[in-house]
Amino acid sequence: MSEPLLKVENLKTYFSMSHGVVRAVDGVSFEISRGKTLAIVGESGSGKSMTALSVLQLVPEPAGYIESGRIVYEGKDLLDLTWEQMRDLRGKEISMIFQEPMTSLNPVFTIGTQMIEAMTLHGTSRKEAKTRALELLRRVELKDPVQAMRQYPHELSGGMRQRVMIAMALSNEPKLLIADEPTTALDVTVQKQILELLVKLQQETGMAMLLITHDLGIVAQVAQDVVVMYAGKVVESATVQDLYTRPQHPYTKALFASLPSRQRRGQPLTTLEDAFAPISGDEPSQ
Amino acid sequence: MNEPPVLKVTGLKKSFPKRKKLFQPKAWHWAVDGVSFEVARGQTLALVGESGSGKTTVGLMLLGLLAPTGGEIEFEGKPLSHFTRAERFALRRRMQVVFQDPYASLNARMNIREAILEGMIVHGIGEGREEREDRARELLRQVSLPPEYLDRYPHEFSGGQRQRIAIARALSVEPTCIVLDEPTSALDVSVQSQVLNLLKQLQQDRGLTYLFITHNLEVVGYFADEVAVMEQGKIIEHGSVDAIFDTPQMPYTQKLLGAIPKVEVAF
Repeated sequence: MSEPLLKVENLKTYFSMSHGVVRAVDGVSFEISRGKTLAIVGESGSGKSMTALSVLQLVPEPAGYIESGRIVYEGKDLLDLTWEQMRDLRGKEISMIFQEPMTSLNPVFTIGTQMIEAMTLHGTSRKEAKTRALELLRRVELKDPVQAMRQYPHELSGGMRQRVMIAMALSNEPKLLIADEPTTALDVTVQKQILELLVKLQQETGMAMLLITHDLGIVAQVAQDVVVMYAGKVVESATVQDLYTRPQHPYTKALFASLPSRQRRGQPLTTLEDAFAPISGDEPSQ
Repeated sequence: MNEPPVLKVTGLKKSFPKRKKLFQPKAWHWAVDGVSFEVARGQTLALVGESGSGKTTVGLMLLGLLAPTGGEIEFEGKPLSHFTRAERFALRRRMQVVFQDPYASLNARMNIREAILEGMIVHGIGEGREEREDRARELLRQVSLPPEYLDRYPHEFSGGQRQRIAIARALSVEPTCIVLDEPTSALDVSVQSQVLNLLKQLQQDRGLTYLFITHNLEVVGYFADEVAVMEQGKIIEHGSVDAIFDTPQMPYTQKLLGAIPKVEVAF
């Protein structure tokens, strides 16, 4: 096997707060191969989003900082790059999409203006950028790309806005797309369409994907490998198949057991407290 | 003797004006367009639909927070339109609500004691402060929170804890029916399981009737007795959980069920 596209080694991202240092990401390691999807799963505060932001060095400063570790992309450590080199890499080599597309789009510019700006910043001519923007909007299966170019973000639905964000993220043909809860704000039927679109685009372009999510159901549909995070640490790292059939860590098992479903009707759901409760000596056997 | 359903809704409608341009004649958007259902005591009806389907608007009308444009709501066999002022006041005690966002639904400037006692004072529950405080402590215990928390403020709590406080607050006035509007959507799955377990337990202990408004079909399959699927202000399909999940009739219901991300490997 060739070297992985992205290799994160022992990453530590800390925040200095008034009451001390918070270890948001505390020694995280993972690899993503070209064209593959790795999902980082965890609950709020597990450090999954901070891990993603650390890869792009977008950790909110000055409170947050990368304490140590290596982020090796195509053989070079991104932490050694200058600010300008890193800026050129963002959006070109590695793109990112976020949960709420409304907050990522500028409300006072049309979709067209924003898409063209993103491309001209990376050295495309305006005319070329416009043609390309239309083509991209077509590829993300927006119904009327010509009209969408003239529209403002508020005129589009949540699903359409996320399609625009995906189009923008793909505009410079990145090798890695980081998607942070890309469908959390969407209805389930729209979520399904967006996930299918991402998988289709991935097959067409051969890009790798780092998917950040709290939803174990989404992971099974999209990813090949999974990293489960809890309190800034990786508690389990496995292929999707292994994780779903043979979860090893008590936290992972508890996560699965806490999911409500029709099959579990009439029985109480497992909570984390149950899972981590100390086992008493005289547990009745059933 | 057949007991009348706790909730009976007939042909409920709500329209909002929509105006595209200034000076253009008003047009109406029917957010809820002729909705009918019944919920028997101790049962859970799930109102399911995507954003904009009108499910929350139905909940707000039941709570008297929005005036219906048409239709009738009956509570324990009596139409709301025939309620006297005093009965309407008492109804607010019998019917409570837990909202989606526990960060928005608790007053940040009230400590937990004030938040829980407020409803009891308004509705004259409990004799004097001592007894009300005892009740408040007991309620916290029932939602698995230590009684010392009475002196704390909402910002000191996590989302799951806040949601449990909101449930304790709703229970403080001894309701018969609770409208649960996406009560676990803002919570992590491990916390969601705690809150769902709690709601189930309370329903068994107190015979509570729930109207569970949600978009999450996994939760519905686990929690509800009956399901009403809403689309564009109408109930398009209504049945038991088994009927809806096993033999959905409408294409929209089938589409919703098909879109649930399955926690199983697709190999």
